[in-house]
Amino acid sequence: MSLQQPVREAAKQLVGVLEKFPAERIRHIVSFKSSQIGRFKRVAGLSGTDGWNESKKASIDEIKDIISRTSAPLGLQKDLLKKMQAAIPEDNLSEQSIKEQIRALNTLMSNKYKTYYDVGDKLYKPAGRPNYYQRILDEVQGKQKETFFSAFRTVVFGK
Amino acid sequence: MTKFHDTQPIWEGSFDCLAPFIRLKMFQNRLFQRQIGCALQFGRLEARSHFSRSSLLLNELKKKDQVESPEELAKTSHMKAEPLDFTNHAPIKAAKGKVYPKSKYESKSYQLPKWKEALGELVIRTFKLDMDKVRAGPVAGFYYYSLCKEQALQYEGEELSETAKFFYEDLKLPRTFSQWFQITLLHEWILFVRMRAMPFKYGRNYQQKLVDRTFADIEMRLFEEMNVNSGRIADQYLKDFNTQMRGAIFAYDEGFFTDDATLATAVWRNLFSGRKNIDMVHLEAVVRYIRSQLYVLSRLSDRDFAMGNFKFVPPNESVSVLTPEQEAQIKERVAEKYKAMDADPNTLPSNRSKLSYTN
Repeated sequence: MSLQQPVREAAKQLVGVLEKFPAERIRHIVSFKSSQIGRFKRVAGLSGTDGWNESKKASIDEIKDIISRTSAPLGLQKDLLKKMQAAIPEDNLSEQSIKEQIRALNTLMSNKYKTYYDVGDKLYKPAGRPNYYQRILDEVQGKQKETFFSAFRTVVFGK
Repeated sequence: MTKFHDTQPIWEGSFDCLAPFIRLKMFQNRLFQRQIGCALQFGRLEARSHFSRSSLLLNELKKKDQVESPEELAKTSHMKAEPLDFTNHAPIKAAKGKVYPKSKYESKSYQLPKWKEALGELVIRTFKLDMDKVRAGPVAGFYYYSLCKEQALQYEGEELSETAKFFYEDLKLPRTFSQWFQITLLHEWILFVRMRAMPFKYGRNYQQKLVDRTFADIEMRLFEEMNVNSGRIADQYLKDFNTQMRGAIFAYDEGFFTDDATLATAVWRNLFSGRKNIDMVHLEAVVRYIRSQLYVLSRLSDRDFAMGNFKFVPPNESVSVLTPEQEAQIKERVAEKYKAMDADPNTLPSNRSKLSYTN
């Protein structure tokens, strides 16, 4: 594979932008940030590991998951996701397309659409359940854990 | 329709500079621009005459007057990569018999006999039924589910609809059943966000009925269209879809409340099923699509939403933000309409409602 210098330079820039991309609040099966950094590091010719190859040893959680997993054929399971992540796609990248990627990423990171299409408190604090989103965020950030009684109250009264 | 693809990157810089332009463009007093090409021409002329004094601002406007729809945004990408296809190539075939709509009452051509209509009105009047509650039930469930379902409905060998083209051709999503479910789910979640803002008494029922409807329909489609013969396997699929649904709704909620980047990763994980060679321009287009739909919903009153006066903005149209004056104007017109309806003694009991039309 012989990539041209401008493409590699652009990819390096893109990796730099991706490094600044906010990390996910909770751990998901695949991480956007690490998978994309792996993808473009390869293009940029930077040494680095793919997000998936970092930990070769399966963790206890993963082993538990494999054992308890049902064979649901439609959903994306961990092994299929791994296969997808391990595959090396033929990207056919050009300098222009990488520049577009950088621009799109910067747009997303600048929160442009959230501020432009501002929905206001009508949707962020919905009349039916004013604390709905705040509770989710608190739980994710570990600020305020849901207790047994608060969860019970939600189930019974819906609020 | 004018295309602006190959000229310049769009939406560069902040939207604040764009505000005067949008205000000008919104002279037409419409929320959506159907033919954005013409609209832009109009807007550009206006902008030029108005701002001819300052050439700097003019340049700024020229650079940014390309208000594009999500579809056009997705098409600007020059990335040629075809996504890796891990599907097992199970196309959706239209069922042989007539399956949908199951009930004759839900077919578009069905007309209720007059005597049944009169009897219904009589029952509502005598028992003083809460029509808002009735509407929040299966009525809304049916209406809003069919809205979501039609967005990406596709069958093998059939022409794609305009909205479906955006998802399957522009975003290069695979034409499978589970992909259809993910797209439907995204639209349902958009509605959920609005339903939570309904009065608590009704809001939950809207969501419940929409979900009920979805799973009843999926079960039927699995048997009729995907040729699943065993109830056990169908159950497995349904459970799997349920898991996907709960995960996606949580992820979208988090993204909606926090920032665009989080919403984009949620879209990447769910709609694009974590595809590695993702095109970030596509992600941006979807985020824009979601936020614009939510904006429209946020400007809709409870009464309008309950009456079903909502349709998703097609991906090839773009939404401009309303100015406060326009918003006030629209609100006034809506209030007038419903005030007249409430005051009119001839309004049928089934058309009455106590929901607010001013919010």
